[in-house]
Amino acid sequence: MAHRKKNRNVGIIGVGQTKHSSHREDVNQPEMIHEAVRAALDDSGLKLEDIDCIVHGNMELFEMVFMPDLWHVLGTGAYGKSQFRITTGGTVGATLSCAADNLVASGMYDVVLAIGFEKLQEGHTTGGITNMADPLWFRNLQTGALTGSTAYNIIREFGEERAKKASMLYRVIMDKHAMLNPYAHRAFGLEFDQMDDLIKNSPKLVGDLKLIEMCSQSDGACAVIYASEEKAKKLSQNPVWVRDHVTVHREETFCIFGYDEKYPVTMTHTEAAKRLFERNGITDPVEYFDVFEMYDPASWWAVDWLRDFFLLEGDEHLKLVENREIMIDGKIPINPSGGVIASNPIGATALLRVAEAALQVRGDAGAHQIPREVKHALASGFGGTMWTVLTMLEKELNW
Amino acid sequence: MGKRVAICAVSQIKNDGDYWYLRFQNMLLPCLEAILEQTGVTFDLDKGIRDIITCSDDVYDARTISNNGVTDVVGAHLRGEEKMAQEAINGLGYAMASILSGHDDVVLFMGHCKETQTESRLMNTNLAFDPFYSRPLGLDFINANAFQAREYQDKSGLTDEHLAKIVVRSRENAKKNPYARENELVTVQDVMKSSMIADPIRELHLYPVTDWAFGMLLCCEERAYEFTDNPVWITGFGNCMDSYFLGDRDLTSNFSLKRAAQRAYEMAGIKDPKKDFDVVELMDSFAYQLPLWAEGVGIVDEGKGAEWIDGKGADDQNVNLSGGMLNGNPIILGGVARALECVLQLRGEAGKSQVKGAKRALAHGCYGAAGQHQAVVVLEK
Amino acid sequence: MAEYFGVKVEDIFNTMQERFRPEGAQGVDASFGYDITGEGKWKLTVKDGQMNIEETEDLSDCVVVTITDGETFVGVNIGKVDGMSAFSSGKFKAEGDLGALGKTAKMFRKYAPAKKEMSIRDYLIDMFGTVVERFKPEAAKGMDIKFAFDLGGEYGGQWTVIIKDDTCQVIEKIEGKPTIKLEFMDAKDYVDFSLGKIDAQSLLAAGRAAVQGEINLALKWGEFFEKYLDPMASGEKEQELLVLKKTISVGQRFATGPVMGKFLNALKDKKILGTKCPECGRIMLPAREICSECRVRFSEWVEVGPKGQVRYMDYVYYASPDPLTGETRDTPYGMISVLLDGCKGNDTFAHIVRNDQIDRIEFGWNEMAGTRVRPVWNEKRTGSIFDIKYFEIDE
Repeated sequence: MAHRKKNRNVGIIGVGQTKHSSHREDVNQPEMIHEAVRAALDDSGLKLEDIDCIVHGNMELFEMVFMPDLWHVLGTGAYGKSQFRITTGGTVGATLSCAADNLVASGMYDVVLAIGFEKLQEGHTTGGITNMADPLWFRNLQTGALTGSTAYNIIREFGEERAKKASMLYRVIMDKHAMLNPYAHRAFGLEFDQMDDLIKNSPKLVGDLKLIEMCSQSDGACAVIYASEEKAKKLSQNPVWVRDHVTVHREETFCIFGYDEKYPVTMTHTEAAKRLFERNGITDPVEYFDVFEMYDPASWWAVDWLRDFFLLEGDEHLKLVENREIMIDGKIPINPSGGVIASNPIGATALLRVAEAALQVRGDAGAHQIPREVKHALASGFGGTMWTVLTMLEKELNW
Repeated sequence: MGKRVAICAVSQIKNDGDYWYLRFQNMLLPCLEAILEQTGVTFDLDKGIRDIITCSDDVYDARTISNNGVTDVVGAHLRGEEKMAQEAINGLGYAMASILSGHDDVVLFMGHCKETQTESRLMNTNLAFDPFYSRPLGLDFINANAFQAREYQDKSGLTDEHLAKIVVRSRENAKKNPYARENELVTVQDVMKSSMIADPIRELHLYPVTDWAFGMLLCCEERAYEFTDNPVWITGFGNCMDSYFLGDRDLTSNFSLKRAAQRAYEMAGIKDPKKDFDVVELMDSFAYQLPLWAEGVGIVDEGKGAEWIDGKGADDQNVNLSGGMLNGNPIILGGVARALECVLQLRGEAGKSQVKGAKRALAHGCYGAAGQHQAVVVLEK
Repeated sequence: MAEYFGVKVEDIFNTMQERFRPEGAQGVDASFGYDITGEGKWKLTVKDGQMNIEETEDLSDCVVVTITDGETFVGVNIGKVDGMSAFSSGKFKAEGDLGALGKTAKMFRKYAPAKKEMSIRDYLIDMFGTVVERFKPEAAKGMDIKFAFDLGGEYGGQWTVIIKDDTCQVIEKIEGKPTIKLEFMDAKDYVDFSLGKIDAQSLLAAGRAAVQGEINLALKWGEFFEKYLDPMASGEKEQELLVLKKTISVGQRFATGPVMGKFLNALKDKKILGTKCPECGRIMLPAREICSECRVRFSEWVEVGPKGQVRYMDYVYYASPDPLTGETRDTPYGMISVLLDGCKGNDTFAHIVRNDQIDRIEFGWNEMAGTRVRPVWNEKRTGSIFDIKYFEIDE
């Protein structure tokens, strides 16, 4: 029977986000969440009473709030409504989107609001991520989500100069995109001619992973409204249709790349992409998609993951970067929003990918709108020890 | 809607006061194996389990992304996995949605909680409150509930003796349940003499610290009989969130529970909850909550909880024959444990507690101070 | 004419008329002279509740003449420089009747600078000019620290803030060896950072700022000094944004269970045990209950190592906190993936490597072996990961 046809279609009819920043002392958690909720309602022209159900998500230990949806009801607007709280890891935002899609498609709820947020300045982020590991073993060793293993791999495969340049070029392109996004947390105004200098001078974190190449720690929230086809058509001029989503997790392991070609490691990104593309009949994803909002925690990973997600071979992924095809006006724009390296409120980050992809499809991304029609969008989430969620959005209901 | 989702199998380990010798991975693995054995389900990408729903809590596990630690023992390697980060009974609603949406036809649902791992569940539940006002005041899920208990006593005439009777009954019922936590039988006098924790809540009025894990296999209607001859159907689900500050709420009005129940009843076509259920399982973390929630789900008239206890209404209506949460399930799993007991009843596998010919059951779960968030599930044979 | 704190010396004199308080000038009949070095001389005449100010070279009939420099004069007038200390340090002198000078204070309302943009330089002068008054001696008790600021760009400069003996002093240069040195490529970034417009991490990430010396002390700046308030912020005092600082700690008792427990117990006997999957033969380290790939319980225990080869090492520069102790780890350190003898493929084991050897580690790949290492065991072993102190090169 495999994957079945959706019970009914689901459209995104509103998105909202806060400014992402390391300085949100001006709001507490529910207040910050409410900014995004209000923005999504305004975007959709709905009122809180139009929402049937709310899905809330983040990670408790980043802010040290137990069952945070209880307090956050002050900002989520869930009072008197159906409410779920579903989380995964860094993927949680993408999971919220999947959950909202499922809840609407099931016929149980017509209009669902998904809310992802994190106030990372209220806790210690790297410490929080390190707490993810088994307390008896790996928690004593690891350094949050930081690893130089991907940099090492790319350097080994393509040589130091080409690898470092590709990673830094990706980084500068993301900064150029972030400069166009008023919500972005970090937008430095980096120039391409600074690359050599940055490669040389940006402080190192782990191995060849440099501070400039790693994502930020942000405060921020994102809210997205999903509605059934019938409601979406009634309530919105331009709903963005959620075609499909797929989640692939891994066991808790920190061996996320192989040391020996005889023993290949299955990459969750590749696996998720294969499953999603196969069941939706997509043979050439680079050709098919008009934008990819990728959860890119560091430029090294981003460069490497392009190959995984697009099922590319050899150095095709490097060429996409080197030829600047991933820029906003390129063949396959990656993260016109500036991506995760620019803004990373973890519980919202993966939902922001979906929200930004939806804005691109609608043509409402403002200064960072891709300068040609966007019909097919892909959004990814990343978390845990190499977990993946992929979501496909469409402009037309014609698949 | 008329659509329904099957529960094809359930599994659990015994509720225990201290599984100090087991990691939670060790607690989940037998639950997984039991499901696979009962149903023959596989993890085949076409025909088997593609997506898993888990339930656990980061604060109780003291792990960021608590589900990260269980991916192997719930079979989630290279499969989808999503965690209910709230009372697990809501996972049944979400699993229902995942299946009815068409996204999944088979969903494995597993959860664990080891309350014994933490130094103090009061310190944990204190963290549920905002850090500026309620948390420094020292609120936790016991003293916050004491406000509700006191108000409900005033409203319904529930006495210390009523509360004691509820505890005595819970422990007696639990003795018939092989998976229940092993507790001493107590007398009304024992309960009334137990120490006062947060007036009017006494030590024996609250559920004991417990470790537990469970598993369930859910499936779409079309394929249910591939995995069992005896499916139990989820026909209704509803949940609801109340406001946060205790002072903003009418603590005995059952605002969110009534709405949750109404949503579930509407979906399942329940007209008269007093008559329509053969078995009812309520998540009574505290003794006073049994009659209060009974009012909320509409099997007892408003404010008549004390009379209901006097008249042995709970026995007549087959409420919490399992012993209930009061006998011991861990936090976040008390509601799903209720649903699991209902499944056993409807399958005719409830042993000494079996209600003959049980056809329809109600399971309830909640979390938060004074039951801020409420959920109700209707299950049918 | 130069500006100090965004104010010119003549601004002070030109606004005297409008700031004049006749009620404060009752009974005063005198002239007061002001000799502002490099700026000019002014004479203030007060009589019958009236005043007159003129710029003049002749201050001979004044009862008292104030002699100071422009920065101090403006600073004292707008409250940025403490009059008493300027007086004690000799930057602010008065010749003549000191008692008469005291009367002038009551004659004028305080000068309120007109609202306008402050330049980067103004901010820098203001920021370092207010360091001493923002110093919190009780928070810096017993501290002996020199914070050096090296700010680049057009408006940059060098400052050292010296905390010693519960006092604080600012000098406009860097001398000797500072305890900690903060470098900003552009002084504007420092200003933005101090005003909360940009975060330090971003600047560090972009290579626009750097910290040398004891980084942890840099974080303590906020404890030693009150927050700098932007004088250009709106007229009404902005609401102070309070943050509640709290370290939350709830004790845990982690069970090890039969499998992890056996693995940890074996470490006491200097043995490394893995569990083997009956289907794929994979060896799990640390030992686990189930092979996640084949979804079956392990079938046998296998003793592996203790020696092996390094397949990969994370060379960690970032000072990560140890979540179990809250302590920041020493950097750099090396976290290795070791393929212990008896394991194959990707069955690696994670630990740390002896700190003085991290630069000598080679990684293995495919058939090629990495650096051979062996565990160094602790004398006292308790059944924990640190029963192995670290791995060292097997030579």
